[in-house]
Amino acid sequence: MSRLSEVLPKRIDPGFLISVALLTAAGMAMVYSTTSGTPLAGHWGKQLIFVLSGITAAVVLVTVDYRLLLKSSPAIFLFSLLLLVYLPVFGTRIAGAKSWIKLPGGFSLQPSEFVKISTALLIAWILENDDRTFLSRKTGLLILAAVGVPVALILLQPDLGVALTYVPLAVTGLFLGGLRLRWWVLSAVLAVVFVGSSWFFLKEYQKDRIRTFLDPDLAARGAGYQVRQARIAIGSGRIFGKGFKKGTQSRLGFLPVRHTDFVFAALAEEQGFVGVAGIVGLYGLFLSRGFAIARDARDRGGSILVLLIVIDIVVQALVNIAMNVGILPTTGITLPFISYGGSSMLACWAMAGLCLSVSYRRFVNV
Amino acid sequence: MGAAIDLSAREDRKPLLVRIDLIAAISWGAFILILAVYWVHQVLRGDEFHRQAENNRQRSIPVTAPRGFIVDRNGVPLAENEPSFSLLLYRREASDVESSLQFVSSVTGTLLEDLRRRILRSGDGRDYLPVILEENLSVDEAAAIEAHALEHPEFVIQISERRIYKGGPIAAHLLGHLGEANPDQVQARNGRVRPGEWIGQKGVEAVYQDLLAGVSGARTFIIDSFGREVAELDRQEPLSGNTLILTIDSRLQKIAEAYFEGRVGSAVALDPKSGEILAFVSAPAYDPNLFAQRVSKDDWDAILNNEDKPLNNRLLQNVYSPGSVWKAFVAYAILMHGISPSERIPCGGGATFYGRFFRCHSHHSTVDLPTALQVSCDTYFYQMGRRLGIDVLAETADLFGFGRPTGIDAGGEKSGLVPSPKWSLAVRKHPWYPGETISVSIGQGPLLVSPLQVARALSALANSDGALPTPHVFHMAENVRTRERFLYRPPVKEQVPFDPGVREAIVEGLFRVVSRPGGTAYAVHVPGLDMCGKTGTVQVVGQKDPKKMGHLPEKLQDHAWFAGFAPKDDPRVVVVVFVENGGHGSKAAAPLAAKLMKAYLRGFPETEETHVSVTAQTEEAAPPAGSTEE
Repeated sequence: MSRLSEVLPKRIDPGFLISVALLTAAGMAMVYSTTSGTPLAGHWGKQLIFVLSGITAAVVLVTVDYRLLLKSSPAIFLFSLLLLVYLPVFGTRIAGAKSWIKLPGGFSLQPSEFVKISTALLIAWILENDDRTFLSRKTGLLILAAVGVPVALILLQPDLGVALTYVPLAVTGLFLGGLRLRWWVLSAVLAVVFVGSSWFFLKEYQKDRIRTFLDPDLAARGAGYQVRQARIAIGSGRIFGKGFKKGTQSRLGFLPVRHTDFVFAALAEEQGFVGVAGIVGLYGLFLSRGFAIARDARDRGGSILVLLIVIDIVVQALVNIAMNVGILPTTGITLPFISYGGSSMLACWAMAGLCLSVSYRRFVNV
Repeated sequence: MGAAIDLSAREDRKPLLVRIDLIAAISWGAFILILAVYWVHQVLRGDEFHRQAENNRQRSIPVTAPRGFIVDRNGVPLAENEPSFSLLLYRREASDVESSLQFVSSVTGTLLEDLRRRILRSGDGRDYLPVILEENLSVDEAAAIEAHALEHPEFVIQISERRIYKGGPIAAHLLGHLGEANPDQVQARNGRVRPGEWIGQKGVEAVYQDLLAGVSGARTFIIDSFGREVAELDRQEPLSGNTLILTIDSRLQKIAEAYFEGRVGSAVALDPKSGEILAFVSAPAYDPNLFAQRVSKDDWDAILNNEDKPLNNRLLQNVYSPGSVWKAFVAYAILMHGISPSERIPCGGGATFYGRFFRCHSHHSTVDLPTALQVSCDTYFYQMGRRLGIDVLAETADLFGFGRPTGIDAGGEKSGLVPSPKWSLAVRKHPWYPGETISVSIGQGPLLVSPLQVARALSALANSDGALPTPHVFHMAENVRTRERFLYRPPVKEQVPFDPGVREAIVEGLFRVVSRPGGTAYAVHVPGLDMCGKTGTVQVVGQKDPKKMGHLPEKLQDHAWFAGFAPKDDPRVVVVVFVENGGHGSKAAAPLAAKLMKAYLRGFPETEETHVSVTAQTEEAAPPAGSTEE
């Protein structure tokens, strides 16, 4: 027995790891169930490759000291921004957005998913250097800039869905740093004004999404079709679901993008409320173990890094689950660890690896 | 290890820890909210959504029953079905609709813009619903498209049955045609017909719609979101429609139609005893196959703009003056009112009534009734008509069924008009002119009859008991599976009363018309056939002196009538022929009547001819076979 095999169980948070592993396994099962026997049947094998690369990335990040990463975060951040700058010019256009870099072997990467990691590192580093109870103006602006620059670049692609996943980073960072109440009130007012006026800048398809969100039955067969079919899929699963690979809504194609954005509806159809509660429970376990890691973290930077990551992932999961059932408008947000998609899977596991790295180094004398 | 924890570092993290707890509390709230929403959907409203999901994937479509064939009395098919291929486009499946259309255009030769128009005309932005791109594809075209199914998954070939009338325009007006049920028809048939279903629109196709249509079945199957069938769940077989066996004899029908090549008019042959119609012609005809698909605008215009109006059923829907044919019925009135058939009237080329000279077409000496019929003397009938008066003539017309529908089972017929003083006051708002009685007594004036009415009325003279039959084309119907047959059930019999000797006197006159020298139709007589009949010629324009008019344009020439039956002693067939602008009845109409009666009573010459030609071919084919033996 090596020393590592004795130490790891004590230092790696088992609850956190189990939640991530089970969510990933459930995702693999759902990708298989929704694509086997269809032209997308090959996706299951690809997903396996994504998961394995994600786990590899996580293992590497556990072994690297996160404090080193925090210290070099400005450099990492700037380097990752280069990828985003590269995209609007040279990126491959997929589904109307230049957000992909083509890789050999038929794979493609979405840098915006990885920039999220460097952004989280940068915000954690900024807040580690300003540990006052309430946020200074300078630190607040730095955090806004850390999020604002990549978001602006992502909106240029344009990919509203991924850009929105950056919002929790900013909000969490400002909140943990101690933004004063008056600023929250002001931002809330500004947010309302912004959301209200943004209607005039939205593309027609984005407006449609909001319209159909507000009244899915209005356009039951038009733009509201996806939302309506997803709700039918979810509801028709009832308590125990229709069974693995037996979801009629997903297998017969009524459910749109059933292996990516709407994979949760497919799961709800096949596994019922029991399955829904199970997955939501796993995200709950992920959240609670993540917060425990944050509380026990050895330093402020590690704690904030874990919080940023955990909250970002959980918010993304909740938004996706809410979007599936139609209580939030449809945006291209994936379900972390579950949706089919290489970049998302890789980024999620890398972030989980960072959390485990913090957990692994929670004792000062490591 | 634990002892090494830097407690002071933890102390200044207190605000951070409070904030963490706050975030955790908000997060748990969000978790519970989400679970509650899913609880509502899956547990509280689960059954409702489950039903919707089932409705989504299950589709039930009616399966139209094979329509019953229509055959003639000898089983010769008149209307059948054949498979028809339609091409459906699922736009959602197409990577590029434009290139899909180009592919179809290259196979079928349909112009690209026509295909684009069909998509537009489908008027449906819902791209998951199929568009019918082509109908009635040939087998080759359907196969060519099927062969590219892998590159073009957006196409589906649908097989259905369509009506085909192999004889083309043969008996078109009798058979009628199919068309999509319009909203009024759907409502009138109260659930038995679906909107857009093809139903009989005219002729026997319409009259016997329920009998021919059968009972629709239903198929329930699972579909995917493109509406494509994935698997079948349930199937209820349709019940085929009955075979409709008509009284028509297509051999007789063909002789009659051949005669009308290039002529306008109508003809009918019927069995006077039963009222069974043996031949039913209205010319010009149209090809009912044109209606078996959506009629193209050009074809439709060609039919509508044809000034001979091919859609008119001239046998029952056009009414004309009966002309001299009418004299056969005036003869009945004469004899039934105590006037002797041997009473003689001097002709003198016409006579003056009420200050006006009424001309006879010829200058006869003195004529009795049979002779008056034989030579069609107008003066005789002028005189008799005046003596009888218009009321007696109208009564007689009514007895023979004029002025009301004959009751034929082949679609809407016109009643014609039997004029009377009462009618004149009520409709024309002026009194009856006595001079009109004189005109009516030779079948002119306001009196209007359809050729079919004449055939029915003549049957009462042909039948020894004076029975007035109801003309019909329904012979029997046969259930395709059980072979059970439904026979024609005649309605209550009408009868024309005859005093002794009356019928015989009239028949003698009609016999002389065809079979005695001097009769107006003697030219067409067939020795031994004992044909009886009456010619009629109806003026289209008033001609003061025909000899001075010279040759008239076709549209102004006289209409030609011939109504007759044979054989004299036991009539088995009544024939009425009417040729519009044909000229004299004896020349334009009588020859066909004679031909039909001869064919019906003596057998069909052209069946023998076909037989002979087949034998001739076999004989010709024989020598080579023999030569190989050598």
